[in-house]
Amino acid sequence: MSNQNESSAPATSTAPSADSTAIGRRGFLFRLGAAGLGAAVLTDRALAELQQLNAVAIDSPLAGYPNRGWEKVYRDLYKSDSTFTLLCAPNDTHNCLLTAYVKNGVVTRLGPTWKYSEATDLDGTKTSRRWDPRACQKGLAMVRKFYGDRRVKRPMGRKGFVDWVNAGFPRDPKTGAVDPKYLQRGKDPWVPLTWDQATEFAAKALHNIAVTYNGDAGKAKLLAQGYDPLMVEATQGAGVQVLKFRGGMPALGMARVMAHYRLANSMALVDAKLRGLGPDKALGARGWDNYTWHTDLPPGHPMVTGVQTNEFDLATTEYAGHVVVWGMNWITTKMPDGHWLTEARLKGAKITVIACEYSATCNKADEAIIVRPGTTPALALGVAQVLIAKKLYDVEFVKSSTDLPLLVRLDNGQMLRASEVFKDYKLADLKNFIKVLGEGENPPPPFQHQGAQVTAAQRAAWGDHVVWNAAKKEPVAINRDQVGDHWKKLGVDPQLEGEVEVTLADGTKVKCRTVFDVTKQMLDASYTPEQVEKLTWAPKAAIESLAQSIAANKTKTLFACGMGPNQFFNNDLKDRSIFLVAALTNNVGHKGGNVGSYAGNYRWGYLSGVPQYIAEDPFNLELDPAKPAKVKQYFKPESAHYWNHGDTILRYGKGVLTGKTHMPTPTKSILVSNSNSLIGNVKGHYSVVADVLPKQEFIGVSDWWWTASCEYADIVFAVDSWAEFKIPDMTISVTNPFLYVFPTTPIPRIHDTRQDIEVSAGIGRALGRLVDEPKMAEVWSFVDEHKARPYLQRILNGSADARGYKFADIEKKAEGGAPSLLLSRTYPKYGSFEQTQESKPWFTKTGRLEFYREEAEFRDAGEAVVVHREPIDSTWYEPNVIVAAPHPLLKPKTPADYGADQAALDGDSRQARNIIKTVDEVIASKHPLLAEGYNLIFHTPKYRHGAHTTPTDLDIVATWFGPFGDMHRSDKRAPFVGEAYVDMHPLDARALGIEDGDYVWIDADPHDRPFHNWKDNPEFYKVARLQARARHYPGTPRGVTRMWHNMYGATIGSVKGTEVNPTGLAKNPETGFQSHFRTGSHQSATRGWLKPTWMTDSLFVKNITGGVMRQGFVPDVHCPTGAPREAMVKITKKEDGGLGGQKLWRAAANGLRPGYECEELKTILAGGYAKKE
Amino acid sequence: MATRKNWQIGRDMTYPYEAAPPKRQVAYIFDTNKCIACQTCTVACKTCWTSGKGEEHIFWNNVESRPYGGYPQRWDLSIFKKTGPAVWKGDTLRSSTIFEGNGPLDPPRGWRPEAADYAAPNLGEDDIAGIVDKGHHLVGESPMWMFYLARICNHCDNPACAASCPRKAIYKRDDDGIVLIDQERCRGYQECVKACPYKKTFYNIINRAAEKCVGCFPRVEEGLQSLCVEGCIGKIRFHGFRTSQGEPRADNPFDFLIRIKKLALPLYPQHGTGPNVFYIPPIHVPDAYLEQLFGPGVAEAKKLYRAAKDDKQVLGALLLFGSTDKMVDKFEVKGEEAIGYGLDGKEVVRVPFTEAHVVRNALDERHNAYRVNTP
Repeated sequence: MSNQNESSAPATSTAPSADSTAIGRRGFLFRLGAAGLGAAVLTDRALAELQQLNAVAIDSPLAGYPNRGWEKVYRDLYKSDSTFTLLCAPNDTHNCLLTAYVKNGVVTRLGPTWKYSEATDLDGTKTSRRWDPRACQKGLAMVRKFYGDRRVKRPMGRKGFVDWVNAGFPRDPKTGAVDPKYLQRGKDPWVPLTWDQATEFAAKALHNIAVTYNGDAGKAKLLAQGYDPLMVEATQGAGVQVLKFRGGMPALGMARVMAHYRLANSMALVDAKLRGLGPDKALGARGWDNYTWHTDLPPGHPMVTGVQTNEFDLATTEYAGHVVVWGMNWITTKMPDGHWLTEARLKGAKITVIACEYSATCNKADEAIIVRPGTTPALALGVAQVLIAKKLYDVEFVKSSTDLPLLVRLDNGQMLRASEVFKDYKLADLKNFIKVLGEGENPPPPFQHQGAQVTAAQRAAWGDHVVWNAAKKEPVAINRDQVGDHWKKLGVDPQLEGEVEVTLADGTKVKCRTVFDVTKQMLDASYTPEQVEKLTWAPKAAIESLAQSIAANKTKTLFACGMGPNQFFNNDLKDRSIFLVAALTNNVGHKGGNVGSYAGNYRWGYLSGVPQYIAEDPFNLELDPAKPAKVKQYFKPESAHYWNHGDTILRYGKGVLTGKTHMPTPTKSILVSNSNSLIGNVKGHYSVVADVLPKQEFIGVSDWWWTASCEYADIVFAVDSWAEFKIPDMTISVTNPFLYVFPTTPIPRIHDTRQDIEVSAGIGRALGRLVDEPKMAEVWSFVDEHKARPYLQRILNGSADARGYKFADIEKKAEGGAPSLLLSRTYPKYGSFEQTQESKPWFTKTGRLEFYREEAEFRDAGEAVVVHREPIDSTWYEPNVIVAAPHPLLKPKTPADYGADQAALDGDSRQARNIIKTVDEVIASKHPLLAEGYNLIFHTPKYRHGAHTTPTDLDIVATWFGPFGDMHRSDKRAPFVGEAYVDMHPLDARALGIEDGDYVWIDADPHDRPFHNWKDNPEFYKVARLQARARHYPGTPRGVTRMWHNMYGATIGSVKGTEVNPTGLAKNPETGFQSHFRTGSHQSATRGWLKPTWMTDSLFVKNITGGVMRQGFVPDVHCPTGAPREAMVKITKKEDGGLGGQKLWRAAANGLRPGYECEELKTILAGGYAKKE
Repeated sequence: MATRKNWQIGRDMTYPYEAAPPKRQVAYIFDTNKCIACQTCTVACKTCWTSGKGEEHIFWNNVESRPYGGYPQRWDLSIFKKTGPAVWKGDTLRSSTIFEGNGPLDPPRGWRPEAADYAAPNLGEDDIAGIVDKGHHLVGESPMWMFYLARICNHCDNPACAASCPRKAIYKRDDDGIVLIDQERCRGYQECVKACPYKKTFYNIINRAAEKCVGCFPRVEEGLQSLCVEGCIGKIRFHGFRTSQGEPRADNPFDFLIRIKKLALPLYPQHGTGPNVFYIPPIHVPDAYLEQLFGPGVAEAKKLYRAAKDDKQVLGALLLFGSTDKMVDKFEVKGEEAIGYGLDGKEVVRVPFTEAHVVRNALDERHNAYRVNTP
């Protein structure tokens, strides 16, 4: 039981010895809670008296007990004074309404609300009891975070930054550069700021930066600082364009986290003032992406379907016959929805897991295939080859719903258009789920979109397509409306195989083949099961049985794809090939047969009215809370990956591979809320800190927990935890059907915090004062008085799937513990429903699922027909080569075409390097660093103990995170009560002289990791070089190593902590930041990557909200994703794993580890402890 | 020494005390096929019951990966040094329980872990039996496996802790069969820590007393399932009363699954403690391993589980798991629904075999909006 006095207070402390400095408000609360509890628990004195009890006569303790009065102690411990509801929403898609139990004003524990079964919609649709309970260990552990010592308790300023502000922003007059003495991020001490100071300093910095980089003089300075001229040109001479704003996973906070985009939009007011322009010419700031930034977007989904992502609520496993869990560790990352999978299995569905290890989910599977990392495109193509070769495909679906029957011209590689074939061909007047806008006509608001909203020019550019009528041996025009049943009504049976000669309207004859036929040729020549086995390790028999099993479950196979394959450089090819398998078997758009990709809670499009809030015209604000806003987007979205790529674009030889529509500007300022992924756990973190951050002049971070991102900020804004919201908010989910409100809560703010929206508002208002623009304050009119509710109601009113809800109603429901239901077409919801079930076209040019990409960028990349590319780093073979036999439509631009050196194989060159090799040639080739001992693939998946890094640094979470937990930290080398480790195949480890539990060094490509020119900066190299424990892990194949993504990396401050803290805790003595690593992190081995097909100007995709079709860059839909799962590493032993660096780690020495088994463990493994007579 | 009936080992056995079974006996069923090792149960328990000083390393509830995990370390291995293997003839245990074959005044056979054995509570997480390699294609049962074993106090029929306590500070409540350590009376001799074969009594160095899972008795007294069950998002757990006096009832889901269908099996029945947490064995793990843990009924239970999709009564009972926070005393299957009734006979839960699928109109005229699945 819990001890008297302070023991039962909501534990604020984590490591027992770590919190000696924790005093002040937290300490006060700690005592307050404890004093209150004193009444409920025995005092020392009472206990002493009770111990003088006389012996009692107890005949049998099973029959009765004389003194049961003491049981009250536990009843009192359990009791609470009151409860309230809060919403826990880290970026894991679940969003759990939790009940907080309050005692003496302090939240002592959390639990599920058990009200998900009371969710309803406007029409009375109801959920069942099968939805409850929803929660997880991370959510329940969060009581320790609300009161934890790493709360950002008040705004904090980095001293060097404050000095720079106070000195009046001195700069090099020529280049505008800031003296590095002001930029000692991670090293400078921190000073507490008042809220007025914090917002004032931030506003002044934004103002100064915007002024500095305004006009031609500003551009000249950027050029002098070495920025790419194309990026400088992209600023259009507006200083506000170098200011970057980001709400971290804004779907998680429709008003709160999105507020930074509203602020970015309002920067047009500042630009207008600074450059003396009118609303027609003024520019807003830049807003960074999210879903793509996190490498969560499956970039091939828009290439096939035209929409951001196709997916299904995980509850639709209810209707599946076969679930293929592909590179997704479902039971560890989709925990509240794990039961749908296990229950589907209980009810007879087959579960197949494809993974590059024996993943946790394998223990819920009927079949598992262990594949080589990064080879999903090849595996899917192998399955497709079997489906076609054995004629297991669904002919009708292929012909009615895919581009496979459409003709491609062999001469130019483009799709044949009806207007080329038929004289005076008139484009069809499209009517099916589409609106072709007239000249000057604006699309209606998103809630009135019925399908694609396109301009006449776009429609003309798409043209109509052509199939070959097999019976009549003639070309037939086919238009975008003619999908599904509409196609069936046509009565044309298109030919799928064979070459045809088509006479064009001008008389020329061109050879054409169907997409099916050119795809089939690619598959048969390069991706037979035998070849795919060589590439992927998946045995031929496994590939064939997988194909058979999928084909046997047409309309009933769910492809649940995860971050595993998505985080490789070939991720778009992975999507295109998996969709090919699904389309061939009619497994798209059915309630139990579909494709989904799961990472991040991104689809704010479910609340498509968000532009009402983030893009309200700042020049024309609607100040009546009851009226809708007028929308005009001034801020320009941009991918943060260029910043992550050294603040550069992709150039290769004389080629520029970043499309014009994607062009970033130089980054001089960053304002971000709710995000440790941007800086603290960024891909190539140490390179960002060493190589990129010194070019940034201001970094503002809003958070309620001191993360590694805070460590490198200039101002940290202290915001409310989910337990203390005074302004409500709203979110949705991509994996479940609910619409959620974050209710306001009755407990007072624990520290001097504000909500994120108040931070944005405060900065905006301060800027308004600086430039004398009162509208900057009016932008935030509804924050104080109305607590943002009018903004939330406007969003609901503007949303296709939420219009009709009154915010007050759903807020009240949430306060009672129940979510509401999103008003999507179906419950549960799933993608491609309208298309497959109602014969509506997809959001593509052809209206069909597209497997051929005719655009120049794809042809130049050798990816017009789906192929497999080797991973860009995580391969023993030559990286990023196209694996294929010669094919008439495989004609990529070569290094010579770009004027580049074909032999150059460094990371930067590899990105755009197109080299074709056959399977056997690939197998015979070598990664350039193999000879230097970089021979282990290092992948960094997410795991059950964290949602990103939330809340892995709480003691009761960390100590369960893997095998090295120890609440008492008896080994003082341990960075925390749990620590990071690398999983190695036991034979690989032994070959390197590494015992189970030893500490090792993990080094990736020395050319660019852990940061450029690390040899010149030994001080930071000491911080950045990755060391961790090694675990002998029998579940990963030889050559493949694994380290979980979710742990906090070492910072300059945490490494200092290991040196100066008396117990060696890797905790920044000044900020309290707690690392799970002694030095480095998993991000020491990763880097930013750019792939040309992520950056095209030509791909048509549906906008992020509504049906508007756009070409080229669309944030979070068509832009770079990076490849953070890729690294080849060299692992070397650092020191022994035993206590104090001596001998074997205790668990191994005691015979409890794989390969070190003691007699009893050997016996039980062999089944020797049960015998039958 | 008394002689007590132990249905789990198919025979009578000796135990230091005599008593009729409690009026009601709490029972838990854990479906290992659904456990995802999220540790939500662990944290639900920890934040309510053991967040005090001296309890940092104490987890009344834990989930461990088998075969390499165990908290405290080697909790189940060391006892085998003293007992040897279990020997079964049919359903009857031929070897000795931990209470048998000792000297007349001896406590049950046991051992006490070292302090360091309570570190690394998730040792062995996800480690598998066998070694995976390139291109392994695993189908059904294979030599490569692991599974999750969630563990709490078993509130045993014949508690080893109570048998060992020199202060008689440990008792079994007649109201519900929950076993408690009197926190006022315990003097911290740690005999219970030594005796419990599950190592589910813990020594609190600050209180200088032993403590253990209290079966969430303040909740049980209100007809609620315990916190580790209420918080189980894998919906692997079911908590209620099984019939302790009299014949098992087919309409009581615990009696039905434990005694009648024998789908849920006790953990280490050979120790003779009569544990009241019952496990549905993992269907992908070889019998030879599982029979050591769950006794001779493993193969039949796995077969039954695989066939549950065709047995509506079994499936219905299983779908009630995690569908209510209240205790269920009686259940029935009607059409495509399973219904649970509480201790007072009133309906507390109703679940469909298949979640409803609803299609809304594209045009919502009332709100002038077009609903879409890809907005």
